[in-house]
Amino acid sequence: MSAHKTLKAALLLGLATTMTAPAFAQGDLAARVAAYKQRVTLLEDQDAIENLQATYGYYFDKGLWAQAAALFTKTGSFEYGQRGVYIGSARIQRALLLFGPEGLAAGYLNTHMMLQPYIVVATDGKTATGRWQGMMQLARPGANGVWGVGITNADYVKEAGVWKIARLHFYVTAQTDYDLGFTKSALPTEGPNALFPPDKPPTEQYRSFPGAYIPPFNFNHPVTGKPLKDIPQPVDSVTGRGK
Amino acid sequence: MTRHALIAALLAASSLGAAPALAQTASEKLDALDKRITRLEDLDQIERLQRLYGYFVDKGQWTQLSELFSDDATLEIGGKGLFLGKKRVLEYMQTAFGPDGAREGGLANHMQFQTLPDVSPDNKTGWIRSRAWVMSSGGWGLPLYENAYRKENGVWKITRLSGPFTMYSSWAGWGKDALNNTWPDKFNPAPDLPPSTIYLTYPAYYIAPFHYPNPVTGKVFKPEMDEVGAYAGPPGSAVQKKWRETGRLVDGSQPIGEPPKE
Repeated sequence: MSAHKTLKAALLLGLATTMTAPAFAQGDLAARVAAYKQRVTLLEDQDAIENLQATYGYYFDKGLWAQAAALFTKTGSFEYGQRGVYIGSARIQRALLLFGPEGLAAGYLNTHMMLQPYIVVATDGKTATGRWQGMMQLARPGANGVWGVGITNADYVKEAGVWKIARLHFYVTAQTDYDLGFTKSALPTEGPNALFPPDKPPTEQYRSFPGAYIPPFNFNHPVTGKPLKDIPQPVDSVTGRGK
Repeated sequence: MTRHALIAALLAASSLGAAPALAQTASEKLDALDKRITRLEDLDQIERLQRLYGYFVDKGQWTQLSELFSDDATLEIGGKGLFLGKKRVLEYMQTAFGPDGAREGGLANHMQFQTLPDVSPDNKTGWIRSRAWVMSSGGWGLPLYENAYRKENGVWKITRLSGPFTMYSSWAGWGKDALNNTWPDKFNPAPDLPPSTIYLTYPAYYIAPFHYPNPVTGKVFKPEMDEVGAYAGPPGSAVQKKWRETGRLVDGSQPIGEPPKE
């Protein structure tokens, strides 16, 4: 991050003085500075988004629902597993109580690591998409510990210079009893909650392990440039998908 | 050439060290800045490439995975031996792990962490040291990577994937169970070349050589095993001998690019 700031400082200060020299083609230099400024801004944007999502993860881990909900835009959406979609930061904050009380409590563990970021910032620097993956370490009072893993797909938007979460979709890949492991145990994902129903049903229907599902890639292949979102989904013997 | 000499050469080349600051034109300053921004972009692209490789492994997207490689790429994973060329990368994956796509009952997550990228002074070659944490239906796994990358027409591709294993264990856990390293005929297809290095996984101990020097001392750390490391050819072969000399400094490290200093 400091490297980005140094670069920006160099752009704004160091070069500005040189730019006043009349001997050079001012237009060319100004165009170069503008192009470099945009490249630095895109690096800064990516950095800010990585921090935003990591921050969300740290809040979510500890049941800091008010803080987590504040990271969303006003019309932002939150979707976790098969629980359905909650829209708007107030609704999201209440929905997060389904994962435990505010600040959690003794016997809770709600770790969702936010790792392996793949951020694509739009060239206009106003929107971005992100893909993340990480382990889950879960515990509830009176229940055995749970190991899990999942993928996050998110959309981000820059509002008045600040990056916010416009859409967050967490896909549960697999969950298992801590002591048994995936060889012996596969815990199912939870469906829509009857106490606090979602605003919309799940956008995609899938089962976690032993089911197989590919959270869509919302960006193009970096080498071929081809879209990745049309990768066919694996067969699901329960829903008949892909058969 | 030592690391310091390299830096000096870089500084001289960019005229920052040799000429007084006043003599540097705005255009030259912008050139130096362009190089620094490009370096940050390149490091970023290399990290992303490695992370996307992991996302494709997770779900068996072998075609898309192979398209991350250059035509002349090499791949060596565990003790299986070397596969030469992008087509063989695809053949290896589809033969060893099944056709493209995920399947019910399978979990093969290869999460990519701790990426440490570097680029060459000319911004054309890159390297990474990173690791995967495997959480699968079979158990745990811990591959390491020392990979190489090349920028072709502005696009970074994997030219060498070296993935020596540190540890593999079933769900009994590594306190009770450890799997052997793989070997060339453990499963199909057969490799094009035998393993470049023979080593054992946990509970044995093996260090893949670092492509970069210690960042604080600037000195190259060289594991005692001189010929270890997953390279482009079998030990003693002309291919490997050439590779070990290509793009490497006398002390065994890579000629890593430093950003021009103010």
